[in-house]
Amino acid sequence: MDLYAMIYSSIKEFKGNIRKDPTTNQNVSSAMAAELTIVSTVLIATIMLRHLNIMLTVLIVLGLGLFLITGMPLINKLKREQNDSLNKMMFYMILTLGILVTSIYWGFKP
Amino acid sequence: MNDLIPLMVIVPIIVAILLNLFSKQNTTVKILSFLVAIVLPIIPILSNYGLHYFGGHAPLIDNGNLLNSLPSYISDGALSTFHIGITYSFESLQRILLFFLFVVGFLCILTTLGERKRIPGSYMFLMFMGLAAVTAMLLSDDIFHMYIFFEIAIVAQVGIVLASTDDLKYEVAMKYLLLGSVGGPILLIGIGFLLGLVGSVNITDIVYAVKNGLINTSSPVFLFSFGLIFFGWLYSVGLPPFHTIKSSIYSKAVPSGSALLQALSVVIFISLGITIFRIYSSLPLLEVFLIFFSLSGMILSLTMAIMENDFKRMIGFLAVGELGYIGLGFGIGTKLSLTAALFQGLNEIIITAILFIGFGVILYLTKISDITKLGGLIENNPKIAIIVLLGGFAMAGVPPLNGFQSKLMLIQSALNDNLPELAIIMILISIITFMTFMKAFHSIYLKPKPKNLIVEDVRVPRSSIFAMAVLIVICIVLGIMPTLVTNGFSGFVGGLI
Amino acid sequence: MIDTQLAALLSSGSFIIIGLYAAIFIDNIIKKIIGLSFIEEGANMFLITLAYRPDGIVPIFLPGMTPEWFASKSAYPLPHALVLTSIVIGASTLAIMLAIAMVLYNKHGSLSASVILGDKK
Repeated sequence: MDLYAMIYSSIKEFKGNIRKDPTTNQNVSSAMAAELTIVSTVLIATIMLRHLNIMLTVLIVLGLGLFLITGMPLINKLKREQNDSLNKMMFYMILTLGILVTSIYWGFKP
Repeated sequence: MNDLIPLMVIVPIIVAILLNLFSKQNTTVKILSFLVAIVLPIIPILSNYGLHYFGGHAPLIDNGNLLNSLPSYISDGALSTFHIGITYSFESLQRILLFFLFVVGFLCILTTLGERKRIPGSYMFLMFMGLAAVTAMLLSDDIFHMYIFFEIAIVAQVGIVLASTDDLKYEVAMKYLLLGSVGGPILLIGIGFLLGLVGSVNITDIVYAVKNGLINTSSPVFLFSFGLIFFGWLYSVGLPPFHTIKSSIYSKAVPSGSALLQALSVVIFISLGITIFRIYSSLPLLEVFLIFFSLSGMILSLTMAIMENDFKRMIGFLAVGELGYIGLGFGIGTKLSLTAALFQGLNEIIITAILFIGFGVILYLTKISDITKLGGLIENNPKIAIIVLLGGFAMAGVPPLNGFQSKLMLIQSALNDNLPELAIIMILISIITFMTFMKAFHSIYLKPKPKNLIVEDVRVPRSSIFAMAVLIVICIVLGIMPTLVTNGFSGFVGGLI
Repeated sequence: MIDTQLAALLSSGSFIIIGLYAAIFIDNIIKKIIGLSFIEEGANMFLITLAYRPDGIVPIFLPGMTPEWFASKSAYPLPHALVLTSIVIGASTLAIMLAIAMVLYNKHGSLSASVILGDKK
């Protein structure tokens, strides 16, 4: 299956997911906009790694691009993870605290 | 007139307490809060630049007689330059930001007075207390003092949310406080580490110690304090992982209250952000962390905003997403970018207030916040629609409004610093902001009116229209003459770097 | 007696760990609030510990002391002042949280955090 067909089928898939809502048209177009924003901004932001190493950047951008496009209905998953449940918020907060402290502790070590 | 500096904090606190005392007397509350709110913006204009030492505790080096009487290991060492008491510093940044903060505060209070017949004094108490708290944070040169007023601001924000009529206000306030009881103490522990290292909580002293090599900046304790304070900062401003709760807080308050809440958040963002930048600017990874969290905040909030159907929540997410621009300005870390970041912060205070008050009118008329159930409201009040549209243009960065100027400066600074990717992302995000805003605008004002939509036959309060008109005039003036404020900001930033 | 300080630091650390554990794993909202207030107490205890000095004296300068002796002996007074303020702030936040917990219990008839503070709640 080529790339175009994959994108097309994934868009059809999340159109199907949203069909329950009364205003399908608007929701699909906003979901598509959100989807494209996520993919494009994440990929562009990854290019900033070129300040570290160019080869690594090429590999990461290609790998990430493939990963993002194959897992395409991303926005539903993201929305599910960012809901208002306290347990999810607490989990991500503690996760961030852990990652932040750990990466600062090891990242700055000379 | 340096004595006016502490008055900027003391006056709102005293008025807040008085309003709480006279809580039952409606007329007294209205007159007192109106008068004080209109006087507040004048104080920063009249006050002179300078430092204010509480209790008159100037550093020893300014006090010749006392200095000569002390042993030489004190008078010759760094200790003589350290600040003994709490210090407030009032510079161009504080003057500009506080003036506009108080103007927005006045307009929010005015809108509240216009929308409600009976104003409980306790609600006004919370508004003034929030204003006083963030003013103290911005003025203070003492990181612990900042923490205390930050916690007071959190409690005031929760109170403002609890005063609304939303069904879910208790749940959201509870979540915010529960998350805050992790975020706040973590910030405090970070401050504790700094206190243990330097022996002082005065920011100027800490910066002096860092710059002059009095403490080891590669020691784990210093790095740990950075991590913890940075985490506390993320909580205080609502960058990920706190963007969901912050937008939820904005969406649950009364719209005029939300307008004030976001202004408070932006000032907290700027005051703590400048502190972090001053203390930790020697750490090489500071830029990376700032850029990473700001970018993820922008991307996640904007994608959530565009998926949202509740316009209050949508503006909440937009307000949080726009904060990312300020963070990026701090992250790029050049003089131009910092100036742009401060300018963007100021613009955001004003623009988001317009949107909250403007969409608040819709809520006032229809009691509905779901955009799928609204439509065709442009025939009811076209003037408000146009003001809101201009506000949305300003937020997305359409010339000649103020959002355009600050975003242009940010993009230029990113390009100058060899980070064109950031410039591209900033442009993309502003397009998405525009699209999100237009989605809400179209659904509320332009779409054919649903048959079952009932618009209450009440007049829009004149105070709301006046508030929006004043704010939009500020937007246009700042858009045409940005140097009115950017000169002040760049003067402040020049002293920072 | 450096051990006193070490023990205090370790116990403040364990307070914080207990608090973080409570934040994630305890579902009862009252217990969660109590657990989270442990983090606050841990932070306060940490600050107090910074002020400790082995064989130190109360930081009051009395007649008959030389400045050098006083400087080498006195505990550091600043953290005490800070902790006092921070305890007051913590108590007020705790009071608000417990008050809201009461309201939530009356509204939902449950104290389970995943029930009353779940999604869309």
